[in-house]
Amino acid sequence: MNEMSKNENLDIQIYNFAYLDENTKRMIRRALLKALCIPGYQVPFSSREMPMPYGWGTGGIQVTSACLIPKDILKVIDQGADDTTNAVSIRKFFQKTANVTVTEKTSDASLIQTRHRIPETKLKEKQILVYQVPIPEPLRFLEPRETETRKMHALSEYGLMYVKLYEDIAKHGHIETAYAYPVKTNGNYVTDPSPIPKFDNPKMNNSPAIQLFGAGREQRIYAIPPYTNVKSLDFEDYPFEAMKANFKCSICGSSDSYLDEIIVSDDGKRSYICSDTDYCKEQTKLNSKKED
Amino acid sequence: MENYPFSENSINSSIAFRSLVNATSYPGRTFQINKLNKPSVLSNAAATILITLCDNESNVYLSKEYNTDEVRNWLIFNTGAIISNKKNADFVIGTWKSLLPLNDFKIGVPEYPERSATLIIEETKYKKVKCNIDGPGIKNKLNIDLPNPELFIENNNLYPLGLDFYFTNDLEILSIPRSTKINIIKSEL
Repeated sequence: MNEMSKNENLDIQIYNFAYLDENTKRMIRRALLKALCIPGYQVPFSSREMPMPYGWGTGGIQVTSACLIPKDILKVIDQGADDTTNAVSIRKFFQKTANVTVTEKTSDASLIQTRHRIPETKLKEKQILVYQVPIPEPLRFLEPRETETRKMHALSEYGLMYVKLYEDIAKHGHIETAYAYPVKTNGNYVTDPSPIPKFDNPKMNNSPAIQLFGAGREQRIYAIPPYTNVKSLDFEDYPFEAMKANFKCSICGSSDSYLDEIIVSDDGKRSYICSDTDYCKEQTKLNSKKED
Repeated sequence: MENYPFSENSINSSIAFRSLVNATSYPGRTFQINKLNKPSVLSNAAATILITLCDNESNVYLSKEYNTDEVRNWLIFNTGAIISNKKNADFVIGTWKSLLPLNDFKIGVPEYPERSATLIIEETKYKKVKCNIDGPGIKNKLNIDLPNPELFIENNNLYPLGLDFYFTNDLEILSIPRSTKINIIKSEL
């Protein structure tokens, strides 16, 4: 077995390029193109069983598999980090099955698969961002029946969502939703941005990059094409606010990137560091150059 | 293997699909397609769309010029696609004139807007009208030439229902999805 996995050519022969078979890719590809034509609309697809459990990015990995080309430079992040279990294993998966080059640098990547973050570095045209989505239906927790939510989208009947946000304000004085904050795509469909912090929502609006979303267990694919209006839902008197912890990164000192809170001592002392590891590295490099 | 459409099926189709993703994501811009083995009447770009996307679940309507033994046999042998009428077609291929009127093609239903036809428009010898387009995927408004722009305006008015168009010209592809808004600049002969 060790001998086999060392031999790249053999690996490629064991699997079809990028793992999925051609028929499955064709089905996913048709869904992806229709999704791009109808921004924010969830296209049903017959999701396949993948060699990982649901909730680990089976949707994202299927979208990536259908999109990947041999020339791609792949980056995979989990909560902004390149070196966590989920990111490492998905990156290895595509190195093995598609033999693609991988990177940790956002600006070098042609395709980025992400779990729950949008990179801090501005994305460019033709870069593809693939989101892993657990619950693609933003109305699901308000209305459990698929037949009903489908009708609500068809009629653009989103009153219920506004009532939910209003109830937040009535109870807490502000909109409590801090992640998976619902957006309206191209003025039409209310869309789940996947569980990214609402700090990332503004990055979806008018992005030059192509944003694709895959939900494996829920069998849905949707997309936000480049230069598309993506508006976070809000009220005139309670406008949307992108929030982050009001601290500086204790590694690079950045005050404008999204921070993770970590506990550093037994008596509960806290520290904050960038959630985007690539951005943090870049900032640290810039800082040391300045010092020189 | 020289009779197969692609020399390396999974590699060539992935590269072809990337061009389709880019074209669909950036409407009104031209993207390149590679050559493949195909019937002489089809353009490389149109043949690539069919080979990359069609399988035995796809209904394909071929307009008169394309409904030949050569095209039918090639398509059915390589993809298993079903040759269909206008009403049921998922993929439609033809010259602009031969596909009019567009009313017969399916535009999806409010609950399932994706159940709509994708039209592949071959050859560019139609009467051109200068138009200005805007919408998702378009950074700054673009000027392009379209045939009968009033039909594209009508199609956009159906949004989120509607037809999605690919214009093919030998090795080039350009898309006008239903989400694209069209403004007529002026008519020209």
